[in-house]
Amino acid sequence: MSDPFSINGGSAVAMVGKDCIAIASDLRLGNQSLGVSNNFEKIFGFGDKCFLGLTGLATDVLTLKETFRFKTNLYKLREERSIEPETLANLVSSTLYERRFGPYFVSPIVAGLGHKDNKPFICGFDSIGCIDFAKDFIVSGTASDQLYGMCESLYEPDLEPEQLFETISQALLNAVDRDALSGWGAVVYIVTKDKVVKRVLKTRQD
Amino acid sequence: MQTTVASEYSNEIHSVPIEHRFNPYSDNGGTVLGIAGEDFAVLAGDTRQVEGYSIQSRYEPKIFDVGDNIVMTANGFAADGVALIDKFRQQLKWYKFDNFGGKLEIKSAARYIQHLLYGKRFFPYYVSTLIAGLDEEGKGAVYSYDPVGSYEREQCRAGGAAASLIMPFLDNQVNFKNQFIPGTDGKEKKPLKYLTLEEVIELVRDAFSSATERHIYVGDGLEIKIVTKDGVRTEYYPLKRD
Amino acid sequence: MDIILGIRVQDATIIATSKAATRGISILKDTDDKTRELNAHNLIAYTGEAGDTVQFAEYVQANIQLYSMRENDIELSPLATASFVRNQLATSIRSRKPYQVNCLIAGYDTKKDQPTLNWIDYLGTQVELPYGAHGYAGFYTTSLLDKHYRKDMVVDDGLKLLKLCLKELETRMPIDFKGVYVKVVDKDGIRSVELD
Repeated sequence: MSDPFSINGGSAVAMVGKDCIAIASDLRLGNQSLGVSNNFEKIFGFGDKCFLGLTGLATDVLTLKETFRFKTNLYKLREERSIEPETLANLVSSTLYERRFGPYFVSPIVAGLGHKDNKPFICGFDSIGCIDFAKDFIVSGTASDQLYGMCESLYEPDLEPEQLFETISQALLNAVDRDALSGWGAVVYIVTKDKVVKRVLKTRQD
Repeated sequence: MQTTVASEYSNEIHSVPIEHRFNPYSDNGGTVLGIAGEDFAVLAGDTRQVEGYSIQSRYEPKIFDVGDNIVMTANGFAADGVALIDKFRQQLKWYKFDNFGGKLEIKSAARYIQHLLYGKRFFPYYVSTLIAGLDEEGKGAVYSYDPVGSYEREQCRAGGAAASLIMPFLDNQVNFKNQFIPGTDGKEKKPLKYLTLEEVIELVRDAFSSATERHIYVGDGLEIKIVTKDGVRTEYYPLKRD
Repeated sequence: MDIILGIRVQDATIIATSKAATRGISILKDTDDKTRELNAHNLIAYTGEAGDTVQFAEYVQANIQLYSMRENDIELSPLATASFVRNQLATSIRSRKPYQVNCLIAGYDTKKDQPTLNWIDYLGTQVELPYGAHGYAGFYTTSLLDKHYRKDMVVDDGLKLLKLCLKELETRMPIDFKGVYVKVVDKDGIRSVELD
């Protein structure tokens, strides 16, 4: 109840396909049982093929979004190129670990394609920055149990972008429908080597 | 002059009374799942039994044929589960004596189990109970309960440790939730249909191998009891043992 | 619990705050204004811990005015104002004694010609909303607002909807909140409105 990770609610998931990745989240922001906003996105872009998903305590989601915007902007100025997903993952990890004894209450996920080789990359973190490198999918948020069940049964390797979109959407939708703190809309990003497609899904509103 | 020798246990003297508390419950893990078809019903459960991080048994069946073409499971605290099922079996025996061996319909069994559970409202059986069988029309039926007897007839239900992993999968694959007919812009739902026994077995096996992959309390083996008009049949499939 | 409500309509944002100032079982005052003007087009409405609220509101008010004085009379936009307030609260929540203040910020963006309503709680959770409330008022009014709110409403429609909400609050709230002060923020600035 007073667990900081489940005051506001929300879930996110990322998957790897054939030369593509997808990352998705719900849109709910609540205060305990009361829904406050149905337009609270939890996926943020840093560079053109690199995304960060943040679930957990909403104030920390906003703080970290701004922190990483600041840090990746500085990175871009110094390196004269956008940040790579692997690099962002290490940046997230070290930023979270700086607060080892007073953590941000978030479960971040990173997904993207390498800027040169377009190699798919996804990973997840705990709240103090331990990286979980996964080859297939990463889940986070209040519906993470449900997402594990959905992803483990629906996922298969080497899906084409459109198939991956269907898989990640079904995984997210059915998972959040079994979680009272997630849902109220959903958004999916499909990232391929030459474009990023964002789709807003029609979902149950309860 | 001191005549007594200091006791070895002098530091064992307590200034406050020692408090004791007995915890009557534990969690023995495992997960169960029931699906009703048109003319059949299945109840499935893994065969692992745990206590803490230790595996007590890799084959401890928890789906039981309780007679009258009804299968039953009570997953959670194993001792309570066994006690509940034994009690139901016992009562079914008495029912038969009183009713000249007449068959107990599943809806009557369902209501009776509610009373067994609610009878211990203030010291509950710590279990998620499922029963499966055929109704009066011969259609598949699954009933599910909370620990104190609130119950409902459903097409499908997962219970136990990995219920949260399996239930959304069942919503999606049995009741076709969030599935729409392509080209209708999400306005026309995919129509419901009864699944065949073969399809149901495949779903159950997928559900359990997925749950086994991600949940430490689930694994070792999968035992499925299938109820048809011809009686109860059992199938066994191995699951990962790690 | 104090009531603060906000509704954004097409050309303005409306804020209503209860007049009662309570402490324990007593109503100390029935003319308490729970708002502060941050600048010409930004109004903050607040609830929370007794000492913290006014202290915090006047602190951000002073800082936002100081910004305009230093920066050549530039008026901070509603988004910038809300971000500043959020940032203060987000910093405060990890301090030894956090401010326990929840607020709504009604603003009018004079550059984009858009009214805004920002909902911010004491943790620093910030969202831009069409309508919102803090505390128990939310439980009573959000269903009404969900049902009757329309995108194309003007101030008069907004005030009508507000009256509907207040009627519900008067019937359902266990204690008298002594009516509300209503303020409207639009392109001409902040003004008080009398409800009839």
